[in-house]
Amino acid sequence: MLTSLYVEGDTFLHRQRPGAKLALILVVGLALYVTESLTVQAVAAVIAAAIYFSLPIPFREAIYRLKPVLFTIAVLGLINIWLLSPHEALVSTLRLLAVVFLAAAVTATTRIADFMETITWALQPAEKLGIVRAADVGLALGLVLRFLPDIFAHYEGLKHAHAARGIAFRPLRALGPLIILTLKDADAIADAIDARGIRGR
Amino acid sequence: MDIRFSDCSVKFKTHVALHPFSLVLSERRIGIIGLNGSGKTTFAKLIDGLVKPTSGTVTVNGLDTVKDAKAVLSVAGFIFQNPAQQLIMPQVMEDIVFGLKAHGLGPAEAEARARAALARFGIEALGPRRVHELSGGELQLAAIASVSATGPDILIFDEPVNQLDLKNRRRVVEAIHALPEHAIVISHDLPLIEDFDRVLVFHEGRIVFDGLPAAAIKHYREIAGC
Ligand SMILES: Nc1ncnc2c1ncn2[C@@H]1O[C@H](COP(=O)(O)OP(=O)(O)OP(=O)(O)O)[C@@H](O)[C@H]1O
Ligand SMILES: [Mg+2]
Repeated sequence: MLTSLYVEGDTFLHRQRPGAKLALILVVGLALYVTESLTVQAVAAVIAAAIYFSLPIPFREAIYRLKPVLFTIAVLGLINIWLLSPHEALVSTLRLLAVVFLAAAVTATTRIADFMETITWALQPAEKLGIVRAADVGLALGLVLRFLPDIFAHYEGLKHAHAARGIAFRPLRALGPLIILTLKDADAIADAIDARGIRGR
Repeated sequence: MDIRFSDCSVKFKTHVALHPFSLVLSERRIGIIGLNGSGKTTFAKLIDGLVKPTSGTVTVNGLDTVKDAKAVLSVAGFIFQNPAQQLIMPQVMEDIVFGLKAHGLGPAEAEARARAALARFGIEALGPRRVHELSGGELQLAAIASVSATGPDILIFDEPVNQLDLKNRRRVVEAIHALPEHAIVISHDLPLIEDFDRVLVFHEGRIVFDGLPAAAIKHYREIAGC
Protein backbone atom coordinates (compact mmCIF):
# COMPACT_ATOMS: atom_id res chain seq x y z
CA MET A 1 0.00 0.00 0.00
CA LEU A 2 1.39 3.32 -1.05
CA THR A 3 0.72 5.84 1.71
CA SER A 4 3.26 8.54 1.13
CA LEU A 5 5.61 9.42 -1.70
CA TYR A 6 8.25 10.54 0.77
CA VAL A 7 10.22 7.72 2.36
CA GLU A 8 11.73 8.17 5.79
CA GLY A 9 15.48 7.60 5.70
CA ASP A 10 18.95 9.04 5.92
CA THR A 11 20.48 8.34 2.53
CA PHE A 12 22.87 10.64 0.71
CA LEU A 13 19.94 12.03 -1.28
CA HIS A 14 17.90 12.68 1.86
CA ARG A 15 20.67 14.89 3.14
CA GLN A 16 20.94 17.08 0.02
CA ARG A 17 19.14 20.40 -0.21
CA PRO A 18 15.83 20.22 -2.08
CA GLY A 19 16.88 23.04 -4.39
CA ALA A 20 20.04 21.14 -5.35
CA LYS A 21 18.02 18.01 -6.11
CA LEU A 22 15.55 19.88 -8.29
CA ALA A 23 18.43 21.55 -10.10
CA LEU A 24 20.00 18.11 -10.64
CA ILE A 25 16.86 16.82 -12.35
CA LEU A 26 16.75 19.92 -14.52
CA VAL A 27 20.40 19.72 -15.54
CA VAL A 28 20.41 15.96 -16.16
CA GLY A 29 17.14 16.19 -18.06
CA LEU A 30 18.44 18.95 -20.31
CA ALA A 31 21.79 17.22 -20.82
CA LEU A 32 20.11 13.99 -21.88
CA TYR A 33 17.89 15.84 -24.32
CA VAL A 34 20.80 17.36 -26.20
CA THR A 35 22.69 14.11 -26.69
CA GLU A 36 21.71 11.28 -29.02
CA SER A 37 24.39 8.87 -27.82
CA LEU A 38 22.96 5.48 -26.94
CA THR A 39 25.84 4.80 -24.54
CA VAL A 40 25.27 8.01 -22.58
CA GLN A 41 21.55 7.34 -22.29
CA ALA A 42 22.11 3.74 -21.23
CA VAL A 43 24.67 4.68 -18.60
CA ALA A 44 22.40 7.45 -17.28
CA ALA A 45 19.40 5.12 -17.12
CA VAL A 46 21.39 2.46 -15.28
CA ILE A 47 22.81 4.94 -12.76
CA ALA A 48 19.41 6.55 -12.16
CA ALA A 49 17.79 3.14 -11.70
CA ALA A 50 20.58 2.11 -9.34
CA ILE A 51 20.01 5.25 -7.25
CA TYR A 52 16.26 4.73 -7.18
CA PHE A 53 16.36 1.04 -6.30
CA SER A 54 19.01 1.55 -3.63
CA LEU A 55 16.62 3.72 -1.61
CA PRO A 56 15.02 2.11 1.45
CA ILE A 57 11.83 1.21 -0.45
CA PRO A 58 10.74 -2.43 -0.76
CA PHE A 59 11.27 -3.57 -4.36
CA ARG A 60 7.59 -4.31 -4.95
CA GLU A 61 6.57 -0.85 -3.86
CA ALA A 62 9.37 0.73 -5.85
CA ILE A 63 7.93 -0.90 -8.97
CA TYR A 64 4.33 -0.20 -7.97
CA ARG A 65 4.98 3.53 -7.67
CA LEU A 66 6.28 3.75 -11.19
CA LYS A 67 3.96 1.25 -12.86
CA PRO A 68 1.74 3.78 -14.61
CA VAL A 69 4.74 5.79 -15.83
CA LEU A 70 6.72 2.72 -16.90
CA PHE A 71 3.65 1.48 -18.77
CA THR A 72 3.33 4.81 -20.57
CA ILE A 73 7.03 4.78 -21.45
CA ALA A 74 6.68 1.25 -22.83
CA VAL A 75 3.74 2.27 -25.01
CA LEU A 76 5.62 5.34 -26.23
CA GLY A 77 8.64 3.14 -26.95
CA LEU A 78 6.56 0.78 -29.10
CA ILE A 79 5.02 3.68 -31.00
CA ASN A 80 8.50 5.12 -31.55
CA ILE A 81 9.83 1.84 -32.95
CA TRP A 82 7.04 2.01 -35.46
CA LEU A 83 7.39 5.72 -36.24
CA LEU A 84 11.15 6.06 -35.98
CA SER A 85 14.02 3.58 -36.06
CA PRO A 86 14.57 1.00 -33.30
CA HIS A 87 17.79 2.84 -32.42
CA GLU A 88 16.01 6.16 -31.93
CA ALA A 89 13.22 4.47 -30.00
CA LEU A 90 15.77 2.92 -27.66
CA VAL A 91 17.54 6.25 -27.13
CA SER A 92 14.32 8.07 -26.25
CA THR A 93 13.08 5.25 -24.01
CA LEU A 94 16.33 5.13 -22.03
CA ARG A 95 16.31 8.92 -21.73
CA LEU A 96 12.80 8.88 -20.29
CA LEU A 97 13.69 6.05 -17.93
CA ALA A 98 16.73 7.92 -16.65
CA VAL A 99 14.72 11.07 -15.93
CA VAL A 100 11.83 9.15 -14.37
CA PHE A 101 14.06 7.12 -12.04
CA LEU A 102 15.94 10.23 -11.01
CA ALA A 103 12.75 12.22 -10.39
CA ALA A 104 11.25 9.32 -8.43
CA ALA A 105 14.39 9.13 -6.30
CA VAL A 106 14.25 12.85 -5.55
CA THR A 107 10.52 12.65 -4.78
CA ALA A 108 11.07 9.79 -2.36
CA THR A 109 13.82 11.61 -0.50
CA THR A 110 12.43 15.13 -0.22
CA ARG A 111 9.77 16.24 2.25
CA ILE A 112 6.73 17.87 0.68
CA ALA A 113 7.13 20.94 2.89
CA ASP A 114 10.72 21.35 1.62
CA PHE A 115 9.58 20.97 -1.99
CA MET A 116 6.95 23.62 -1.48
CA GLU A 117 9.31 26.05 0.15
CA THR A 118 11.90 25.59 -2.57
CA ILE A 119 9.44 26.02 -5.42
CA THR A 120 7.91 29.05 -3.75
CA TRP A 121 11.38 30.51 -3.27
CA ALA A 122 12.52 29.71 -6.83
CA LEU A 123 9.44 31.40 -8.27
CA GLN A 124 9.89 34.66 -6.36
CA PRO A 125 11.35 36.43 -9.43
CA ALA A 126 8.37 35.30 -11.51
CA GLU A 127 6.04 36.60 -8.82
CA LYS A 128 7.82 39.96 -8.85
CA LEU A 129 7.13 40.12 -12.60
CA GLY A 130 3.49 39.40 -11.83
CA ILE A 131 3.43 36.13 -13.80
CA VAL A 132 2.46 33.73 -11.00
CA ARG A 133 1.74 33.66 -7.31
CA ALA A 134 4.67 31.63 -6.05
CA ALA A 135 2.93 30.33 -2.93
CA ASP A 136 0.06 29.01 -5.04
CA VAL A 137 2.36 27.06 -7.32
CA GLY A 138 4.15 25.64 -4.27
CA LEU A 139 0.81 24.68 -2.75
CA ALA A 140 -0.40 23.09 -5.98
CA LEU A 141 2.73 20.97 -6.21
CA GLY A 142 2.48 20.04 -2.54
CA LEU A 143 -1.13 18.98 -2.94
CA VAL A 144 -0.34 16.75 -5.92
CA LEU A 145 2.45 15.04 -4.00
CA ARG A 146 0.38 14.72 -0.84
CA PHE A 147 -2.80 13.36 -2.41
CA LEU A 148 -1.39 11.23 -5.23
CA PRO A 149 -1.28 8.20 -2.92
CA ASP A 150 -4.99 8.73 -2.25
CA ILE A 151 -5.69 8.35 -5.95
CA PHE A 152 -3.72 5.11 -5.93
CA ALA A 153 -5.82 4.03 -2.95
CA HIS A 154 -9.05 4.76 -4.83
CA TYR A 155 -7.75 2.69 -7.73
CA GLU A 156 -7.02 -0.24 -5.40
CA GLY A 157 -10.44 0.21 -3.81
CA LEU A 158 -12.15 0.02 -7.19
CA LYS A 159 -10.15 -3.09 -8.01
CA HIS A 160 -11.28 -4.75 -4.78
CA ALA A 161 -14.87 -3.67 -5.34
CA HIS A 162 -14.80 -5.37 -8.73
CA ALA A 163 -13.24 -8.51 -7.27
CA ALA A 164 -15.76 -8.64 -4.42
CA ARG A 165 -18.59 -8.63 -6.94
CA GLY A 166 -16.88 -11.11 -9.24
CA ILE A 167 -16.55 -8.62 -12.08
CA ALA A 168 -13.44 -8.71 -14.24
CA PHE A 169 -11.45 -5.53 -13.59
CA ARG A 170 -10.51 -3.44 -16.60
CA PRO A 171 -8.36 -0.42 -15.80
CA LEU A 172 -10.02 1.60 -18.55
CA ARG A 173 -13.47 0.98 -17.10
CA ALA A 174 -12.21 2.18 -13.72
CA LEU A 175 -11.12 5.48 -15.26
CA GLY A 176 -14.57 7.09 -15.03
CA PRO A 177 -15.23 6.30 -11.36
CA LEU A 178 -11.61 7.13 -10.55
CA ILE A 179 -11.91 10.59 -12.09
CA ILE A 180 -15.19 11.20 -10.26
CA LEU A 181 -13.74 10.08 -6.90
CA THR A 182 -10.70 12.26 -7.49
CA LEU A 183 -12.80 15.30 -8.35
CA LYS A 184 -14.92 14.78 -5.23
CA ASP A 185 -11.72 14.61 -3.18
CA ALA A 186 -10.48 17.73 -4.91
CA ASP A 187 -13.70 19.53 -3.95
CA ALA A 188 -13.36 18.51 -0.30
CA ILE A 189 -9.68 19.45 -0.22
CA ALA A 190 -10.36 22.82 -1.85
CA ASP A 191 -13.04 23.47 0.79
CA ALA A 192 -10.57 22.58 3.51
CA ILE A 193 -7.93 24.92 2.08
CA ASP A 194 -10.47 27.73 1.95
CA ALA A 195 -11.76 26.95 5.43
CA ARG A 196 -8.28 27.04 6.87
CA GLY A 197 -7.55 30.33 5.17
CA ILE A 198 -4.44 28.90 3.57
CA ARG A 199 -4.51 30.89 0.33
CA GLY A 200 -4.31 34.53 -0.51
CA ARG A 201 -2.58 36.12 2.40
CA MET B 1 -20.58 34.77 19.15
CA ASP B 2 -23.29 36.26 17.00
CA ILE B 3 -24.33 34.43 13.84
CA ARG B 4 -27.24 35.89 11.89
CA PHE B 5 -29.07 34.38 8.95
CA SER B 6 -31.51 36.78 7.27
CA ASP B 7 -33.98 35.34 4.74
CA CYS B 8 -31.27 32.96 3.77
CA SER B 9 -31.74 30.11 1.27
CA VAL B 10 -29.49 27.74 -0.68
CA LYS B 11 -30.21 26.22 -4.04
CA PHE B 12 -27.92 23.84 -5.97
CA LYS B 13 -28.96 24.28 -9.59
CA THR B 14 -32.66 23.45 -9.29
CA HIS B 15 -32.45 21.54 -6.00
CA VAL B 16 -33.40 23.55 -2.93
CA ALA B 17 -31.04 22.42 -0.14
CA LEU B 18 -32.26 25.04 2.36
CA HIS B 19 -35.57 26.88 2.18
CA PRO B 20 -35.54 30.57 3.24
CA PHE B 21 -35.03 31.01 6.98
CA SER B 22 -33.92 33.63 9.50
CA LEU B 23 -32.08 32.76 12.67
CA VAL B 24 -29.70 34.10 15.30
CA LEU B 25 -27.17 31.83 17.04
CA SER B 26 -25.25 32.87 20.14
CA GLU B 27 -25.16 29.89 22.53
CA ARG B 28 -21.89 28.23 23.47
CA ARG B 29 -22.88 24.71 22.41
CA ILE B 30 -25.22 24.23 19.48
CA GLY B 31 -26.19 20.83 18.11
CA ILE B 32 -27.56 20.07 14.66
CA ILE B 33 -29.42 16.85 13.96
CA GLY B 34 -31.56 15.47 11.16
CA LEU B 35 -31.81 12.77 8.52
CA ASN B 36 -29.24 12.29 5.76
CA GLY B 37 -29.62 14.92 3.07
CA SER B 38 -31.71 17.23 5.28
CA GLY B 39 -29.31 20.15 4.80
CA LYS B 40 -27.09 20.03 7.90
CA THR B 41 -23.73 20.23 6.16
CA THR B 42 -25.00 22.92 3.80
CA PHE B 43 -26.15 24.94 6.82
CA ALA B 44 -22.77 24.56 8.54
CA LYS B 45 -20.83 25.53 5.41
CA LEU B 46 -23.02 28.59 5.10
CA ILE B 47 -21.64 29.85 8.41
CA ASP B 48 -18.07 29.52 7.22
CA GLY B 49 -18.80 31.02 3.82
CA LEU B 50 -17.88 27.77 2.05
CA VAL B 51 -21.42 27.76 0.67
CA LYS B 52 -22.77 31.15 -0.40
CA PRO B 53 -26.44 31.90 0.22
CA THR B 54 -28.53 31.88 -2.96
CA SER B 55 -30.64 34.60 -1.38
CA GLY B 56 -30.37 36.56 1.86
CA THR B 57 -27.27 37.13 3.97
CA VAL B 58 -25.23 35.44 6.68
CA THR B 59 -23.12 37.39 9.14
CA VAL B 60 -20.69 36.08 11.76
CA ASN B 61 -19.85 38.56 14.52
CA GLY B 62 -20.99 41.29 12.17
CA LEU B 63 -18.87 40.06 9.24
CA ASP B 64 -20.67 39.17 6.01
CA THR B 65 -19.72 35.69 4.77
CA VAL B 66 -19.67 36.91 1.16
CA LYS B 67 -18.12 40.38 1.47
CA ASP B 68 -15.75 39.63 4.37
CA ALA B 69 -15.11 36.00 3.48
CA LYS B 70 -11.46 36.00 4.62
CA ALA B 71 -12.20 37.59 7.98
CA VAL B 72 -15.04 35.14 8.60
CA LEU B 73 -12.67 32.25 8.03
CA SER B 74 -10.40 33.38 10.81
CA VAL B 75 -13.34 33.68 13.20
CA ALA B 76 -14.91 30.31 12.40
CA GLY B 77 -12.93 27.10 11.98
CA PHE B 78 -14.37 24.02 10.30
CA ILE B 79 -13.53 20.40 11.10
CA PHE B 80 -14.67 18.29 8.19
CA GLN B 81 -16.41 14.96 8.00
CA ASN B 82 -13.23 13.43 6.64
CA PRO B 83 -10.34 15.07 8.48
CA ALA B 84 -7.79 13.19 6.38
CA GLN B 85 -8.59 15.55 3.53
CA GLN B 86 -8.20 18.54 5.78
CA LEU B 87 -4.66 17.81 6.90
CA ILE B 88 -2.70 19.02 3.94
CA MET B 89 0.81 18.19 5.03
CA PRO B 90 1.80 14.55 5.40
CA GLN B 91 2.92 14.94 9.00
CA VAL B 92 0.76 16.27 11.84
CA MET B 93 3.28 18.78 13.17
CA GLU B 94 4.16 19.97 9.65
CA ASP B 95 0.48 20.47 8.95
CA ILE B 96 -0.19 22.65 11.97
CA VAL B 97 2.95 24.70 11.33
CA PHE B 98 1.95 25.09 7.69
CA GLY B 99 -1.49 26.41 8.64
CA LEU B 100 0.02 28.90 11.07
CA LYS B 101 2.62 30.13 8.57
CA ALA B 102 -0.18 30.66 6.09
CA HIS B 103 -1.69 32.96 8.70
CA GLY B 104 1.47 35.01 8.71
CA LEU B 105 3.45 33.59 11.63
CA GLY B 106 7.21 33.20 11.46
CA PRO B 107 8.76 29.69 11.62
CA ALA B 108 9.77 29.80 15.31
CA GLU B 109 6.48 31.23 16.50
CA ALA B 110 4.49 28.80 14.33
CA GLU B 111 6.45 25.88 15.76
CA ALA B 112 5.81 27.01 19.35
CA ARG B 113 2.11 27.60 18.74
CA ALA B 114 1.80 24.19 17.05
CA ARG B 115 3.38 22.47 20.05
CA ALA B 116 1.00 24.31 22.35
CA ALA B 117 -1.96 23.21 20.20
CA LEU B 118 -0.90 19.57 20.43
CA ALA B 119 -0.33 19.86 24.17
CA ARG B 120 -3.72 21.44 24.65
CA PHE B 121 -5.39 18.23 23.47
CA GLY B 122 -2.83 15.93 25.06
CA ILE B 123 -1.64 14.61 21.71
CA GLU B 124 2.02 15.67 21.70
CA ALA B 125 2.87 12.14 20.62
CA LEU B 126 0.99 12.62 17.33
CA GLY B 127 3.25 15.51 16.26
CA PRO B 128 5.80 13.49 14.33
CA ARG B 129 3.27 10.90 13.09
CA ARG B 130 2.23 10.65 9.46
CA VAL B 131 -1.37 11.54 8.72
CA HIS B 132 -1.85 8.34 6.73
CA GLU B 133 -1.00 6.16 9.70
CA LEU B 134 -3.43 7.74 12.16
CA SER B 135 -6.59 6.06 13.39
CA GLY B 136 -9.94 7.82 12.99
CA GLY B 137 -9.91 9.26 16.51
CA GLU B 138 -6.32 10.42 16.24
CA LEU B 139 -7.11 12.07 12.90
CA GLN B 140 -10.07 13.87 14.39
CA LEU B 141 -7.99 15.15 17.34
CA ALA B 142 -5.17 16.20 15.01
CA ALA B 143 -7.66 18.12 12.87
CA ILE B 144 -9.14 19.83 15.94
CA ALA B 145 -5.64 20.82 17.09
CA SER B 146 -4.73 22.04 13.62
CA VAL B 147 -7.86 24.16 13.16
CA SER B 148 -7.94 25.59 16.68
CA ALA B 149 -4.22 26.50 16.51
CA THR B 150 -5.02 29.56 14.39
CA GLY B 151 -7.32 30.82 17.15
CA PRO B 152 -10.88 30.92 15.78
CA ASP B 153 -13.69 31.82 18.22
CA ILE B 154 -16.10 29.30 16.76
CA LEU B 155 -15.45 25.70 15.84
CA ILE B 156 -17.84 23.91 13.51
CA PHE B 157 -17.80 20.10 13.51
CA ASP B 158 -19.36 17.92 10.83
CA GLU B 159 -20.07 14.53 12.39
CA PRO B 160 -16.94 14.40 14.54
CA VAL B 161 -17.53 11.00 16.12
CA ASN B 162 -18.82 9.22 13.07
CA GLN B 163 -17.00 5.88 12.67
CA LEU B 164 -15.06 6.15 15.92
CA ASP B 165 -14.79 3.26 18.35
CA LEU B 166 -15.99 3.76 21.91
CA LYS B 167 -12.62 4.78 23.24
CA ASN B 168 -11.81 7.26 20.50
CA ARG B 169 -15.37 8.56 20.64
CA ARG B 170 -14.87 9.38 24.30
CA ARG B 171 -11.58 11.14 23.64
CA VAL B 172 -13.14 13.34 20.97
CA VAL B 173 -16.30 14.00 22.97
CA GLU B 174 -14.22 15.05 25.97
CA ALA B 175 -12.09 17.30 23.79
CA ILE B 176 -15.19 18.99 22.37
CA HIS B 177 -16.76 19.42 25.80
CA ALA B 178 -13.59 20.99 27.17
CA LEU B 179 -13.27 23.58 24.38
CA PRO B 180 -13.42 27.18 25.58
CA GLU B 181 -14.48 28.14 22.03
CA HIS B 182 -18.05 28.19 20.85
CA ALA B 183 -18.94 24.94 19.12
CA ILE B 184 -21.53 24.07 16.50
CA VAL B 185 -21.74 20.32 16.12
CA ILE B 186 -23.55 18.26 13.50
CA SER B 187 -24.07 14.79 14.86
CA HIS B 188 -25.91 11.53 14.25
CA ASP B 189 -24.61 10.52 17.68
CA LEU B 190 -27.40 11.88 19.87
CA PRO B 191 -25.77 11.46 23.33
CA LEU B 192 -23.02 13.83 22.14
CA ILE B 193 -25.45 16.77 21.98
CA GLU B 194 -27.58 15.76 24.98
CA ASP B 195 -26.26 18.48 27.27
CA PHE B 196 -25.88 21.20 24.64
CA ASP B 197 -27.46 24.63 25.10
CA ARG B 198 -29.53 24.50 21.94
CA VAL B 199 -30.32 21.95 19.24
CA LEU B 200 -31.69 22.51 15.73
CA VAL B 201 -33.52 19.73 13.90
CA PHE B 202 -33.33 19.79 10.10
CA HIS B 203 -35.80 18.09 7.82
CA GLU B 204 -35.99 18.38 4.05
CA GLY B 205 -34.13 21.67 3.99
CA ARG B 206 -36.06 23.31 6.82
CA ILE B 207 -35.39 23.88 10.51
CA VAL B 208 -38.37 22.06 11.97
CA PHE B 209 -37.38 22.33 15.61
CA ASP B 210 -35.23 24.71 17.62
CA GLY B 211 -34.89 24.30 21.36
CA LEU B 212 -33.49 22.18 24.14
CA PRO B 213 -31.80 18.83 23.42
CA ALA B 214 -34.33 16.45 24.99
CA ALA B 215 -37.28 17.92 23.08
CA ALA B 216 -35.20 18.15 19.89
CA ILE B 217 -34.24 14.50 20.07
CA LYS B 218 -37.88 13.53 20.66
CA HIS B 219 -38.90 15.57 17.60
CA TYR B 220 -36.19 13.98 15.50
CA ARG B 221 -37.28 10.49 16.55
CA GLU B 222 -40.82 11.29 15.45
CA ILE B 223 -39.61 12.41 12.04
CA ALA B 224 -37.49 9.31 11.67
CA GLY B 225 -40.33 7.13 12.90
CA CYS B 226 -38.22 5.30 15.46
N1 LIG C 1 -22.62 20.65 -4.05
C1 LIG C 1 -23.88 20.18 -4.17
N2 LIG C 1 -24.47 20.10 -5.38
C2 LIG C 1 -25.74 19.66 -5.50
N3 LIG C 1 -26.49 19.21 -4.48
C3 LIG C 1 -25.95 19.26 -3.26
C4 LIG C 1 -24.62 19.73 -3.03
N4 LIG C 1 -24.36 19.65 -1.70
C5 LIG C 1 -25.47 19.14 -1.13
N5 LIG C 1 -26.43 18.91 -2.06
C6 LIG C 1 -27.77 18.40 -1.80
O1 LIG C 1 -28.38 19.20 -0.81
C7 LIG C 1 -29.09 18.41 0.13
C8 LIG C 1 -28.55 18.63 1.53
O2 LIG C 1 -27.23 18.12 1.61
P1 LIG C 1 -26.36 18.17 2.93
O3 LIG C 1 -25.01 17.65 2.58
O4 LIG C 1 -26.45 19.50 3.51
O5 LIG C 1 -27.12 17.11 3.85
P2 LIG C 1 -26.74 16.58 5.30
O6 LIG C 1 -27.91 16.87 6.18
O7 LIG C 1 -25.42 17.06 5.71
O8 LIG C 1 -26.70 15.00 5.07
P3 LIG C 1 -25.76 13.86 5.73
O9 LIG C 1 -26.36 13.53 7.06
O10 LIG C 1 -25.92 12.73 4.78
O11 LIG C 1 -24.39 14.39 5.79
C9 LIG C 1 -28.94 16.95 -0.32
O12 LIG C 1 -30.10 16.59 -1.04
C10 LIG C 1 -27.73 17.00 -1.24
O13 LIG C 1 -27.88 16.03 -2.27
MG1 LIG D 1 -23.54 16.13 6.04
